[in-house]
Amino acid sequence: MKLAWRELTRRPSRFVTAGAALTLIVLLLLALGGILDALVQSSTGLLKAQTAPLIVYSADSKGSIDRSRVTAEDRAAVEAVPGVHDASGLGLALLAGYLPGHTEPSNVAVFGYEAANLRVPAPPQPGEGYADRSLETDGLAIGETVELGTARIPVKVVGWVQDTNYNLQSGLWVDAATWRRALNANIPDAAVAPGTFQAILVTPEESTTPAQLETAIDAAVPAVNALTIPQAIAGIPGVAEQDSVFTSIIGVTFAVAGIVVALFFALLTIERVGLLGVLKAIGASSRTLAAGLTLQAILIAGGAIVLGSLLAVALAQVIPDAVPLTLTVGRFVFTAVGLIVAALIGSAISFRRIIRIDPASAVGGA
Amino acid sequence: MTALDMQDVRKTYGSGENEVVALDHATLTVGDDEMVALIGPSGSGKTTLLSIAGGLLSPTDGSVHVGPHAITEYDRKALTKFRRDFVGFVFQGANLVPFLTARENLLVVADVSGKRGRDVERRADTLLEELGLGHRKKNTPPQLSGGERQRVAIGRALMNEPELVLFDEPTSALDTKLGEQVMDLIRSEVKGRGTAAIVVTHDTRMTPYADRVVEIRDGRLAA
Amino acid sequence: MFRILGKKGRPAARMTGKEKDVRLALAEIRRAKLRFGLLTGAVALLVFLILFQQSLAGSLLGQFTGGLEHQSATVLVYAADARRTVDGSRVTPAQVAQVAAVPGVAASGPIGEGSFTARLGDGQLSDTSVIGYELGGPGFPTTLSSGRLPASDGEAVASAADASQGYDIGQTVTVVPGDTPVTIVGLADNIQFNVQPTLFVSFATFEGLVRATNPDARAVLPNLVGVEPAAGVEPVALASTITAQVAGVEALDRDTAVASLPGVSSIEQSFNIILGLAFVVVILLTGFFFLIITVQKTPSLTLLRAVGASGGFLLRNLIVQVLLVIGGALVIAVPLTIAAVSGSSSAAFQATVDPAVIVTTSIAIVLLAVVASIGAMRRVAKIDPAAATARLTGGGLA
Repeated sequence: MKLAWRELTRRPSRFVTAGAALTLIVLLLLALGGILDALVQSSTGLLKAQTAPLIVYSADSKGSIDRSRVTAEDRAAVEAVPGVHDASGLGLALLAGYLPGHTEPSNVAVFGYEAANLRVPAPPQPGEGYADRSLETDGLAIGETVELGTARIPVKVVGWVQDTNYNLQSGLWVDAATWRRALNANIPDAAVAPGTFQAILVTPEESTTPAQLETAIDAAVPAVNALTIPQAIAGIPGVAEQDSVFTSIIGVTFAVAGIVVALFFALLTIERVGLLGVLKAIGASSRTLAAGLTLQAILIAGGAIVLGSLLAVALAQVIPDAVPLTLTVGRFVFTAVGLIVAALIGSAISFRRIIRIDPASAVGGA
Repeated sequence: MTALDMQDVRKTYGSGENEVVALDHATLTVGDDEMVALIGPSGSGKTTLLSIAGGLLSPTDGSVHVGPHAITEYDRKALTKFRRDFVGFVFQGANLVPFLTARENLLVVADVSGKRGRDVERRADTLLEELGLGHRKKNTPPQLSGGERQRVAIGRALMNEPELVLFDEPTSALDTKLGEQVMDLIRSEVKGRGTAAIVVTHDTRMTPYADRVVEIRDGRLAA
Repeated sequence: MFRILGKKGRPAARMTGKEKDVRLALAEIRRAKLRFGLLTGAVALLVFLILFQQSLAGSLLGQFTGGLEHQSATVLVYAADARRTVDGSRVTPAQVAQVAAVPGVAASGPIGEGSFTARLGDGQLSDTSVIGYELGGPGFPTTLSSGRLPASDGEAVASAADASQGYDIGQTVTVVPGDTPVTIVGLADNIQFNVQPTLFVSFATFEGLVRATNPDARAVLPNLVGVEPAAGVEPVALASTITAQVAGVEALDRDTAVASLPGVSSIEQSFNIILGLAFVVVILLTGFFFLIITVQKTPSLTLLRAVGASGGFLLRNLIVQVLLVIGGALVIAVPLTIAAVSGSSSAAFQATVDPAVIVTTSIAIVLLAVVASIGAMRRVAKIDPAAATARLTGGGLA
């Protein structure tokens, strides 16, 4: 083991190739993963923030919140279903938000809501709103007023929230009346009557499970479709496809990492075949030599993870805004673990070669 | 006690028409304190004999005992352990680890068997002094002369206090004067410790240093 | 090495130069199957990654923008605050009229776009994009492949890619809620919008759909005004004129409009980053691998030089090996890409492989790989035949 460590620290140049390739692969993995996470988050953040376990859409909307419309009557019918403890409305409007002092508008997702959730406190006063931190990055400050759409409906910012974006647009949480006003004034073809929301969030009584209530609501009110939050997330168009495509690409990249390690150590072992023979002759077991190799593989992978991560963080600073990228702790951990596993498997390819080295080859001269 | 007792050892490669007999009916005993020179031309089988004596190769027939160890009955793992604990090798051309210092090269076997400790380190330092390398112990092989490298190799071979030390052409890469110095050193180290030694060489100038000379030709030992 | 020249009984002297090169290169590869196999495998996977992503990105982009790209209006007028998104744009009737009056405009008309749920013939619900235009005016699909354009309300041209999903000529889809039937009378290629099956209908039909699905709707404003320039008028110039002359709008030529669609920029740039990284890894890997192998082979190469092989011979040998490895990688990667692309296709997302892209990328990779082996080539060129007589230590020992 010590021998392997010493070789690595005293002859670092021969390990540079593998290190550089793996570092770039880590960067690639983090970029891919970061883009996937941002895409998924932007599509699902709104739903993941909800404390209510059920969400009710109109039956024909195919799980798309944009197209859903739940009228006041339908809502009353839902609330009348036994087992419903609480129901609150959720409305959405995608509008241009004009920040003070800016000519170019930001993309805002205006949410009209009635009850607090995991990431947003209880609704503010009419005309006020909680803004997503991404608007702060755009130049908004607390106390300032955002003007929504061509009709310039004003909303005063009274607090910040995080991770509440929808469709890559910054969330702005307002009370139902303000939301309705902003929507109807700016997008007349999507106007809603008082009492109509895109979706109703439902919390069941203690005695009822979400699954039971879901079935009950669907049966009692055919005009609507109730879904558990996980079902709703799975049903968001595009999310499943994005996930599978990106995940397969990430899988392939891990495989490449494993092959790089395998290739490199195969070459290294060949180069050192004489030395390994001598070590075996003087009593080193194949197991010890293989362990040394594995140690080197892990250390190189570890170095690549550190360096690649730093590069990824730097990359995130300089990429254009149009590219969605979010680096989560979970993604770093997943990538690190995956790379170490790939390195372990890759280094194992050389084990057979090590075992086959004949110690008798040390004798007999060059 | 004999350090090496080789009885009727035979080593063949291949089979049938293509069979090559590297060693035939080799019988050799080496006493505890003896230094034996094994002389023969290339292809005579001396390397094969050395390898079998040191547990690097298993014979096709015959038995080999090194001290109390019946190594012909050992499997690969047992042979590795045996070599580690009881045999020393000095190869042609030293064969040191190029990125380790002289001292670290001596400690390689200890590292590999996990037996590192103060005792072992002291032993390495003592050996280095005896071999006249005290002032060179922090140098790596590329920084050492050919003779110094060979001396490090000898130190490495003696680290595990072996019963038997095997030398494969220790002086072939050295000029006469250096060669004589090395043979001198070998003799004093080996004799001083009661270790047996077999020195394979084709250089007849070196044979006076040995207690006994054994000739080998075409796989057979001269009577 | 000597055994290799003149294999199979043919005296080395009688082989042509090229044959010797390939023979030697092949023989070496056969001897070191694991090494070359691993490298070819790694390069193949990376090349596959590159080709696969290019195909996906290309297909994805087309399915986002096809509806806008393959309709007839070469100038599109947005609301000024729409951030160049069709969904976020609404133009007033006054603005529509003003656009029509701008000099250089040959024809103009409203274009509406929306996303709806449609019930297909078999009862399944499907997300559908609907684009409405004034019949006879700009905004009709330009890639009609069968059938005809709508002649009246209630008729539609559908995206040909979705014909087998229930959008074929003669079939009727019903938009819900409101149960409005739309009958398909024609099919056009590459007109999907927002990665969904897409229908082109009359503007009146579109209006009806919006009102039927949202009874509370107050007014149905078109998203865009589609404009066809007069003869001799450049779309880019006309777009600037319209933007200048009509208050509250931004006019773009069609190509700019397509490039500005939300998601296009993200997708393009995201994939560019990833493709860039993948390319760099391929080059690095190939270059360093051949450098390492060359260094390892230095003793034998020196020997070859000493017995008379020319520097050019060794160089050609190296290049042949690089080409063989990359060729092998392509042979694996291209079919793999085709399989993976059709494997990732689903009813929701049809991906296709563009042969032109594959050919260009392959050539690029071959060239870059040869460039990458320059390091190894320089090492080969530096080999000094006189060094053959020097004592060589091997196997990592001192």
